[in-house]
Amino acid sequence: MIKTENLSVGYGTTPLIEDICLHLKPGQIMTLIGPNGSGKSTILKTVIGQLAPVCGTVFLDGRAMAELSPLEAAQKLAVLMTGRIRPELMTCWDVAAMGRCPYTGRLGILSAWDREKVREALSLVRGEELAPLPFSEISDGQRQRVMLARALCQEPSVLVLDEPTTFLDIRYKLELLSVLKDMAQKRKLAVLLSLHELELAGKISDCVVCVHNGKIERIGPPEEIFTADYIKKLFDIQTDDSELFVFHGGKRLRCGYTTGTCAALAAQGAARLLLTGSAPVSAALMTPKGIRVEASLEDCRLEGGSAFCSVRKDGGDDVDATHGLLITAQVEERDTPNVSIEGGAGVGRVTKPGLDQSVGEAAINRVPRNMIEEEVLSVGDELGYEGGFRVAIYVPGGEEAAKKTFNPQLGIEGGISILGTSGIVEPMSAQALIDTIALEIRQRAAQGHKRIILTPGNYGLDFLRAQGMDRWGIPVVKCSNFIGDALDACAAEQFQGVLLVGHMGKLVKLAGGVMNTHSRLADCRTEIFCAHAALCGAAPELCRALMDCPTSDACIAVLDRAGLREAVLDSLLSAAQDHLNRRASGAFPVGAAVFSNQYGLLGRTSQAKELMDAWSTL
Amino acid sequence: MRYVLAFLLLVGLLALLAVLNLRVGSVRQPDGAIVWRLRAPRMLAAAVLGGGLSLSGFLLQTFFANPIAGPFVLGISSGAKLAVSLMMIFLLKRGLVSSSAAMIGAAFLGAMLSMGFILLISRRVRRMSLLVVCGVMLGYICSAITDFVVTFAEDSNIVNLHNWSMGSFSGIYWDSVGVIALVTGAALLLAFLLSKPIGAYQLGEVYARSMGVDIRLFRAALILLSSLLSACVTAFAGPVSFVGIAVPHLVKRLFGTAKPLLMIPACFLGGGVFCLLSDLIARTAFAPREMSISSVTALLGAPVVIVMLAGRRRERD
Repeated sequence: MIKTENLSVGYGTTPLIEDICLHLKPGQIMTLIGPNGSGKSTILKTVIGQLAPVCGTVFLDGRAMAELSPLEAAQKLAVLMTGRIRPELMTCWDVAAMGRCPYTGRLGILSAWDREKVREALSLVRGEELAPLPFSEISDGQRQRVMLARALCQEPSVLVLDEPTTFLDIRYKLELLSVLKDMAQKRKLAVLLSLHELELAGKISDCVVCVHNGKIERIGPPEEIFTADYIKKLFDIQTDDSELFVFHGGKRLRCGYTTGTCAALAAQGAARLLLTGSAPVSAALMTPKGIRVEASLEDCRLEGGSAFCSVRKDGGDDVDATHGLLITAQVEERDTPNVSIEGGAGVGRVTKPGLDQSVGEAAINRVPRNMIEEEVLSVGDELGYEGGFRVAIYVPGGEEAAKKTFNPQLGIEGGISILGTSGIVEPMSAQALIDTIALEIRQRAAQGHKRIILTPGNYGLDFLRAQGMDRWGIPVVKCSNFIGDALDACAAEQFQGVLLVGHMGKLVKLAGGVMNTHSRLADCRTEIFCAHAALCGAAPELCRALMDCPTSDACIAVLDRAGLREAVLDSLLSAAQDHLNRRASGAFPVGAAVFSNQYGLLGRTSQAKELMDAWSTL
Repeated sequence: MRYVLAFLLLVGLLALLAVLNLRVGSVRQPDGAIVWRLRAPRMLAAAVLGGGLSLSGFLLQTFFANPIAGPFVLGISSGAKLAVSLMMIFLLKRGLVSSSAAMIGAAFLGAMLSMGFILLISRRVRRMSLLVVCGVMLGYICSAITDFVVTFAEDSNIVNLHNWSMGSFSGIYWDSVGVIALVTGAALLLAFLLSKPIGAYQLGEVYARSMGVDIRLFRAALILLSSLLSACVTAFAGPVSFVGIAVPHLVKRLFGTAKPLLMIPACFLGGGVFCLLSDLIARTAFAPREMSISSVTALLGAPVVIVMLAGRRRERD
């Protein structure tokens, strides 16, 4: 029996995990779970006396561990730790027989009774036939069994194991754990172990301990612990960047990850499964935004020459149509050393020009494609595989979900898009976001700024950087779709000049007086193009062509062909200027600069020209 | 059965070489005095010191879990050598003759200092090869200082000192043999009594602790014993290379096991055999000129180490 009281563990005097109170009874199996680096091993090392506790006590059969002599402790507690041992010229029998150390005499010579115990221990782990073999020449699974027999030879009342299944393939994992379960019941052993594999932990444990965030977050029987919500919380993304979204109300929005990140994570897992034959529990990657994302893998399987892994899309607090869908990657080996990426069922296909991908391609955008390629290749590198991969992405239920998105209007058919430029979904719950933007604008004002640049998103930031406008010393605030609200906030803070820099697709809506540009609320881009083109004398055919364009870039292309780009843009921009002036109602001069990824800077409103000329010479 | 045969083989070889060492030499028909006063003590010293050196190597290999650790490569012999030469010069200057006890004391001090340095390094570097490189460097530094000291020693005994610092079993008489046997015998007995924890330690520190070994006590004992053994050898015969690595390896192959209960006496016997053979060669190969014992042990031992390293590499691949 083992018990800890107010135990704090760590290295030196800094506690890593505090206030650990565990109580393990004979015949019970207690499993520590938690993400890598959460401190599972540190707890186990402290329990077995390898590390001194920072404070608190470990009790072994009712006596404080520190008071026991090494020999007394060895007769009560046996261990199986990580790290391979390479003993020289030892047979499995020799290794197992070492476990009799606490009982043999000064020279460690085995008596007949000791030999009987060793035989018994080896037969318990089903390892009798291993006895005469050299320890260095058997498989990892067999080695773990022999080491377990060695531990059993100590006739302990408590057995501590640190990730005993690490090097084993799934068959040996199950075998080892079934031996453990057997042993706990037959010998009334108290077993304390840490495991990576949640499903195995669920199967064998009487009690599960979740180590997370520097504390024991939960203790309980597996059926209470293994609820989908909690496991997500325990293992899911590390929202260490979420500080960004903390604001005065104390409300915090959780980030999610994009469909592109899901696809890349799933592909990484599938590539690993393909090359190693064993399925990882989770996959992690660094998103282009520089935030590490880790997600558990679901439904991993090998079929023929293909490996499949899935990741569930989690939009965080930004619940959209794709939230909860499974993104599945199928990975196969390929002779040429490159990566091909295809879209299967549930992934949309591009049918109109002007999108990130050309017509006929799967709607998997450039950034996710790069992410997928990078993930599978780095798995290949790590495992010394030199060939290439064929990756196919599927989204079960994607076709149905896509009907709720804007894909039909964009000309993407048959499923959802795999997209995302930063890899992270920043939550978009409207009021919270508006508050955050207002807060940021207020902060800038408080820092003494009188001028400000607003931009809806990442594209705008890239554009500002490309133009060198980020070096003007004027603060840039991301205002998402909430352009009107951001302008109101600027007015409230008495700014003296506001410049909006944004993608055509968003800012064209300003010409229609739309001040919240989220496409769920208002998508009238082609209509506005069409109206202004008509004003500039476009023929009905041209107007129809514009109405059919999937994107604003496509509209520009159509206008270019008709030689109307300049006239229509002028008309659009002056309308936008009017609407901006109305919203600002004289509080400050405001202008808008419009660009597209394809064409670069497209145009500026009159006020934007003045502001930019003045600011660039500051 | 194999163990019995192997032991018989070692004992047989030891006896044979002992007789040869007594019979063969630069003087063809030696009288009783030469045999008794020169060859017998030298033979016994070579056998016992060789055993001690080899045992010291075995203990160090266990301690560092490193098959090429040994008193010579880790710089422990050289540290002892430096301390002994400093003391000899210091005493000679004052016209004093150094006693065996003082010699062993100085050598032990030097060995412990080197050992302490190696232990400090072993905390920082995890790779075995790097540790050995550091040990070899330490050895070079100590040897260089010794040479420096010897060069500027003004005494006429400089020749003796020089011979000693190259390593030789010559010049050992009965009075020294008693001390050697006492110190080495005691260390052998203590090491033998430690064979159980040594065996457990072969599985690594964590497991040894979990199987009831008091790690701190055990590590201290191992360090003291191995330093004492190599200090004793260095005090009387100067630094002798490669015995500490080659012999334990050969003996392990011969017995097909690394069990300390067998290895400790077997290494001791094996070291005796190895040094008797080396000394026989050193004395007779270019008689009446004598080679330094280290040259012979290196010639015999270094190839064994190379073969061993090559073999390990193959195993890993």
